[in-house]
Amino acid sequence: MKRFLAAALAVAVLCGSALAGTVKVGVIGPFSGPFALAGKNFKAGIDAYMALNGASVDGNDVEIVYRDLPQPDPAKSAALAQELVVKQGVQYLAGFYFTPNAMAAAALTEPGNVPMVIFNAATSSIVEKSPFVVRTSFTMWQNTLPMTKVAFERGMRRVATVVSDYGPGIDAENAFRTGFAQQGGAVVDSVRLPLSTTDFSAIMQRIKDSGADAVFAFLPSGPPTLGFVRASEENGLKAAGVTLLATGDLTQEPDLAAYGDSALGLLTTYHYSIAHDSPENLAFVAAGRAAIGNPGDLTFPAVGAFDGMHVIYAMIAATGGQKNASVAVDAVRGMAWTSPRGPVSIDPATRHITQNVYLREVAKAADGTYYNREIETFAQQGDPGLMAQ
Amino acid sequence: MLTILALGTDALAYAMALFIVCVGLSVTLGLMRIANLAHGAFAMIGGYAASHLTTDAGFGFLPALLVAILVTVAAALPIERFLYRRIYGAPQLTQVLMTIGMTFVIVGTVNFVFGPTLKSIVLPELLSGPVDIGFRSIAGHKLLAIGCGAVVALGLWVLFNHTRLGLCLRATVADAQMTGHLGVHTASINAVGFVLGVGLAALGGVVGAQLMPVEPYYALRYLMTFLVVVSMGGAGSIGGTLAACLLLATLSTFTQYMFPDFGDLFLYLAVILVVVAMPRGLLGWRRA
Amino acid sequence: MSWWPCRADFLGGAVRNPGSRGGGGARELVGFAAIGLALGLGYLLMPDSLALLTRMIALMLLVMSLDLVTGVGGVATLGQAALYGAGAYAAGIASARLGIGDPLVMLAVGGLAGAGAGLVGGALVLRGEGLARLVLSIAFAQVLHEAASKASGITGGSDGLTGIAIAPLFGLFAFDLWGRTVYWLAGSLLLIVLVILRALVRSPFGLACAAIRINRERAETLGVRTRPILLRLFVVSGLVAGLGGALSAISTRVVGLDSLSFILSADALVMLVIGGTGNIYGALVGTFVYVLAQDRLSALSPFHWIALVGALLIGVVLFVPRGMTGSLGALRYRPGAPGRRLR
Repeated sequence: MKRFLAAALAVAVLCGSALAGTVKVGVIGPFSGPFALAGKNFKAGIDAYMALNGASVDGNDVEIVYRDLPQPDPAKSAALAQELVVKQGVQYLAGFYFTPNAMAAAALTEPGNVPMVIFNAATSSIVEKSPFVVRTSFTMWQNTLPMTKVAFERGMRRVATVVSDYGPGIDAENAFRTGFAQQGGAVVDSVRLPLSTTDFSAIMQRIKDSGADAVFAFLPSGPPTLGFVRASEENGLKAAGVTLLATGDLTQEPDLAAYGDSALGLLTTYHYSIAHDSPENLAFVAAGRAAIGNPGDLTFPAVGAFDGMHVIYAMIAATGGQKNASVAVDAVRGMAWTSPRGPVSIDPATRHITQNVYLREVAKAADGTYYNREIETFAQQGDPGLMAQ
Repeated sequence: MLTILALGTDALAYAMALFIVCVGLSVTLGLMRIANLAHGAFAMIGGYAASHLTTDAGFGFLPALLVAILVTVAAALPIERFLYRRIYGAPQLTQVLMTIGMTFVIVGTVNFVFGPTLKSIVLPELLSGPVDIGFRSIAGHKLLAIGCGAVVALGLWVLFNHTRLGLCLRATVADAQMTGHLGVHTASINAVGFVLGVGLAALGGVVGAQLMPVEPYYALRYLMTFLVVVSMGGAGSIGGTLAACLLLATLSTFTQYMFPDFGDLFLYLAVILVVVAMPRGLLGWRRA
Repeated sequence: MSWWPCRADFLGGAVRNPGSRGGGGARELVGFAAIGLALGLGYLLMPDSLALLTRMIALMLLVMSLDLVTGVGGVATLGQAALYGAGAYAAGIASARLGIGDPLVMLAVGGLAGAGAGLVGGALVLRGEGLARLVLSIAFAQVLHEAASKASGITGGSDGLTGIAIAPLFGLFAFDLWGRTVYWLAGSLLLIVLVILRALVRSPFGLACAAIRINRERAETLGVRTRPILLRLFVVSGLVAGLGGALSAISTRVVGLDSLSFILSADALVMLVIGGTGNIYGALVGTFVYVLAQDRLSALSPFHWIALVGALLIGVVLFVPRGMTGSLGALRYRPGAPGRRLR
């Protein structure tokens, strides 16, 4: 009798989960404002994944609830996340373009019993804010360290760094400083700019005067990067003998046309290029371009979202559509798959993505469009930022 | 020395771009006594129109600039007729609110029409590339901004001081009622002033787009800067506005060079000092 | 009662503050009871939205503080967020850096910091006139904003101040995800501040402020020392705004640079005017309507709510020029009452 009851209960629970029907995923990102392109890419990545893999997992329909957060605004992020968890009843939080927003919302994951999958925000320490945070994008340490090697190999010894004054910028500066010192080079000037900076002429002059033979830069993709690369060209940085080095944030694909020929040969290290040559990427780019409308808009946040959805689907399958953050997160520890960017896995300890980082240069295709050509692979990089601590 | 010269040209370009936008605000404020917080929104319309014309409609830069100004003025005229006329002479707070409301509406509408992303204006080769001016290379569009600023300053000076229209404008600024009694149709003068202000806003929005990027919150983002300039310069004073722009741009450029980490902290401290020391505007002593 | 440096009894007859109209204590009690009832109804009807309601209450305190300087004292400012942000950061830093997690102590710290910012900001803003005054208020808020952005070691800078831990209220009521405790804390705070401010507006001090607003020269002639009075008003305003900031820090456990931003200052002014200036209640109504509209409209169309809010604002200026509470009042009182000159 007891066994029958237990079985009946199990059936009821299973049916319950099958009947529960809908799993809501709350996505917070910049869907309007200067960084709207990133939000558009989140949505395109999600849509592409759902178009290729269906909109339900084992009978649980997946519903996406979008919330717009145009700028770094931690207080608003916490409020939105709270509203999504409490009022909308989402089982997963996802998205997050800016670190401050991710940090603020991460505090709610434990009391709310929801996993959080980060599609972009790249400060190493976010995953330490809560055991329920999983990241499918990249970190600044991950993408920056290979560049120190490249810079040294190419004969640069004195480098200035320019970063935005917030979490990932400081990570990038520290990563470059540490890595370049290990190589044997010197950082001669470090500048941290407020996020709101739009005019970089004075900074270019400062770099030229610093006597550096290269400048390493990180700013969040969007208006700041566009302004920075243009200013470097207009102020004759190259003519003054200063090479621009950067993470791929500065050469996101939609901006390349605006840079034109002047950016040809610009070296960046990054985890993903739209031009990555693999069948998985071809399928992703086709679906992503169909989802985003204007094909030229597709860029890296879309792949973060695409792989993020892959992780969320695995979590939904593992929990049978029930709300259970620790089971969900444990299910994806160590998970490995082939992403559009190449082979990736979720590190079981840090819950951050292990992936290839590529050295790329801006190149011109036969049809006159520009792209990031991958010229060297640094295989299976973890997050040195967390290891460094 | 070369550094100072190089930074000086950057500051000059920024100052001129700022001047073109702000002098329009200064004129409307001085002439019509309207705290027109929607001024930046008109600059934004100009910028978005020019961006659309150059990127999607295949216009060249110059025709796009002219059409953008016309479009902005055309959009502004009904707004003047139906909204501004209701708040002439109203208390400042009412004007502030009404024009903030307009700014919100324009920001929302522009984003709805053109999409809520950063817009770029396609420049001809001559303006987009670096130009070597001897001691440094500088972007062509900065030279354009400097040139336009100089032309606008000179043009306004001639208009205000050497034409009959300018005389009427100045008279209306000084005492609208009295000027009306003398047989000047002050309503038309107001309309001319308004169109002038809006046109300058659009011009500044397009020409200065490389320095103050055309983005969805343009109208709100630079509003503060515009207000600071006009307040430092003194409403209705062309020379004062120019002086304020030069001072602000110089401060901004040099503090960014020397203390890039501190952002605008020193800039705003300087603004406080100047406003406290010279509450009537930079050239206020001349008009006192 | 002679701590305000003026002969308020002379003014009592000449100045009729909107807050004092119809002045019966019974009517005041009805007003307070209505607010209390609304707070209870909010808890029952919107149990999923307590965080929104708490945010509203924090903003109400900000808008009330703005009403003090702008509506009661007649000083237009676009930098009120400076006082709110000072309170938010002070309370947040007390908890995150100094380990002071008691919510009541955090509120006190926030209020004091706000009052301090009000003293400095007020002294500065009162040096200017007209547009210069507006710009000084903006610049003051911007200086605080840039300083908070730079001092990231203490304030968290652009990353925001996180790690705020809140001890249970009275050691009994923990702060949960649903925000029940903080809602009741916020509601009680709102009622207490409301009672005190209404009394303040009707006091001789409040009347002196109104006298300055309505006709500064005349008030000076009658012996009112305008600058010290307005400065005191700024300190009280800072106290209220600082409490609001501290409340938001307690409620969201994050403090960001937005709490010092120009946009917040402008929003506060908009909310105040929608509600109606000078009578404190307008701040409550305006904030409620604005935040609710913003919340609903942005959910409806996250990309373009701003245009609808702008249209609402234009509509208010055109058709309800005295704000919602002012116009309700106008139905009952004769036109030309002093509140009208505020606009």
